[in-house]
Amino acid sequence: MNKKIVAVAGLALALTACGKEGGTAAEPAAAPKPGEKPGVCLVMKSLANEFFQQMQKGAEEHAAKRGDLTLSVVGIQNETDIDNQVAAVEKCVTQQAKAIVIAPADSRALVAPLKRAVDAGVKVVNIDVQLEEGAMKAAGIGDKVPFVGPDNREGAKQSGMELAKAVGKDAEVVILEGNPGAANAAQRKAGFEDAVKEGGLKLVDSKTAHWETNEAHTVFSNMLTAHPNIKGVLAGNDNMALGALKAIDEQGKKGQIKVASFDNIPAIAQYVKDGTVVSTLDQYGAQQAANGIDYAMKMIGGENFSGWQKTEIKLITKDNLG
Amino acid sequence: MIKRLVLGEAGIGVALVVLAGFFVIAAPNFATEQNLRNIMTQITLNTVLAVGMTFVILVGGIDLSVGSAMALCAVVSGTMMAGSHSAVTLLGAILVSVLVGGAVGWINGFVSEQWRVPSFIVTLAMLNVARGAAERYTDAATIYNLPAALNDFGTITLLGVPAVFWVALLLAGIGWFVLSRTVFGRLIYATGNNEEAVRLSGHKTSRIKIAAFMIAGLTVGIAAVLYMARLNIASPILGQGYELNAIAAVVIGGASLMGGRGSMAGTFLGACLLGVLTNGLLLMGVSDFERQIITGLVILVAVVLDAYRLRLARKLAVTQPAKEPVPAAVAS
Repeated sequence: MNKKIVAVAGLALALTACGKEGGTAAEPAAAPKPGEKPGVCLVMKSLANEFFQQMQKGAEEHAAKRGDLTLSVVGIQNETDIDNQVAAVEKCVTQQAKAIVIAPADSRALVAPLKRAVDAGVKVVNIDVQLEEGAMKAAGIGDKVPFVGPDNREGAKQSGMELAKAVGKDAEVVILEGNPGAANAAQRKAGFEDAVKEGGLKLVDSKTAHWETNEAHTVFSNMLTAHPNIKGVLAGNDNMALGALKAIDEQGKKGQIKVASFDNIPAIAQYVKDGTVVSTLDQYGAQQAANGIDYAMKMIGGENFSGWQKTEIKLITKDNLG
Repeated sequence: MIKRLVLGEAGIGVALVVLAGFFVIAAPNFATEQNLRNIMTQITLNTVLAVGMTFVILVGGIDLSVGSAMALCAVVSGTMMAGSHSAVTLLGAILVSVLVGGAVGWINGFVSEQWRVPSFIVTLAMLNVARGAAERYTDAATIYNLPAALNDFGTITLLGVPAVFWVALLLAGIGWFVLSRTVFGRLIYATGNNEEAVRLSGHKTSRIKIAAFMIAGLTVGIAAVLYMARLNIASPILGQGYELNAIAAVVIGGASLMGGRGSMAGTFLGACLLGVLTNGLLLMGVSDFERQIITGLVILVAVVLDAYRLRLARKLAVTQPAKEPVPAAVAS
């Protein structure tokens, strides 16, 4: 096992060395030569997810509109396929991309390969899930890799406060969490908890439904059995909200239980319209990768960014539903 | 015959009663009418998938593709019926779902029989193909706006029992009848027990096995429709891991993964046991992580107990060949 790691590391070193050689030739001229567009590598998480599909589409359109870069997109099969994402990063370095924009599958595991990329002179921009600060500092790239993304916690809090307004003080509510271990799931949960505190709600249960509709249906029906007085649901994403909505419908509690959600996918619109879903949050997912590309291009041009560069979020309610 | 059947599933039945009894005491609101309905709705999909899986496992095969195939059926059929108010379109889309499922099952069976490839590998490949196809077909988008009639069917109850669960019961009943009352059912068991003997007696075993995979595929298509009825959406990511739940139900129900041993009643009880377990643990407020551990341990215990039971039955059969009722498992 160790031998394998050493071998991989050695190989990566060799690769980064190559990358450097290629890089130094072009670097003195800060701006890319005319006619030679810098390559930007977009390393995505799961392409099997509507959210990331939209993000990729948005990035491709944005790159075409800018016209001053060559974008290549690499995705992985599912959101936990860390090995393949590491390989994708290494491929980008080998192909001498000028910048990598990455939605990491894991907030720690990707730090080491990204450090190798930074060392090879590749600019790195972090989108979607924030890489862990401690791990970045330990690797010595804490001040070299900006995170461009929305504030999930703040967004969840805003959505949760809408629910608090709708159900009133002391109402019993539950949280449907995303995947355990996923940073955005944890942040959304924290934001919901902020809203529970501030809005004076009574949190009676909080469980994961792994972002999935059917599981949310099962988990929420059972929550409703255990706590028949539930008045509100805080769902970590719209797909889980859809499962809870169906359970509410089945148990004849439509109108009595309100839902606050997150993501603003097309399927949720009808429920926002009829008032069952009091709010969902648009974090402009399609724009996230495009924003990342803008930062990457600025960095290639010589600017430096680090820390969190917050992007726009928007609370969606019945009143402003597009 | 009745005695055999009872002894065969007695273990799992007792376990289910004990577990339910425990939850009645320990889990708040477990023994309420609404919760019983919840459990029925929650085990519907797994029951339907497990019915088909039983046929495959009885002939000594396995089908790992059911979760992905279900997503494929759902998105193809869901796209067809979305936004439509016509009953003809709805029925057509339901039929398409069942046909897509049947076709996937036929491919699984045909490939593994034609080229003598273990079904484990063929259906593992199909797991990827079907999932990829479902995602490609929809560009990974969730399909919504399904017909109201379908949604209503997913919500209504008949005689206090959810309509979707009636479908599951009906399928389990048909499965039981086919396996225990027809020549085809006998051939399914016989093929799993001793394929060579069946072939020598003049039957085409590959046809029997392909049929088993097709039956599994048909149940997948039906499960996809039930999913859409229940949740009012179709998503290319639905059904991940469902194959393992279906296999777990069949195995807890006393089936052997080597084929030839198992029963529809056992499978049904297995699906109930898993559903009751999940429901009760959630009501008790057990954490997600612990729930997974407990579910895994229950599967393990069920299989180990079953192995003991089988050994005991063999011993009894050897020492008192004529008097003791021999479990169906050993006899058939």
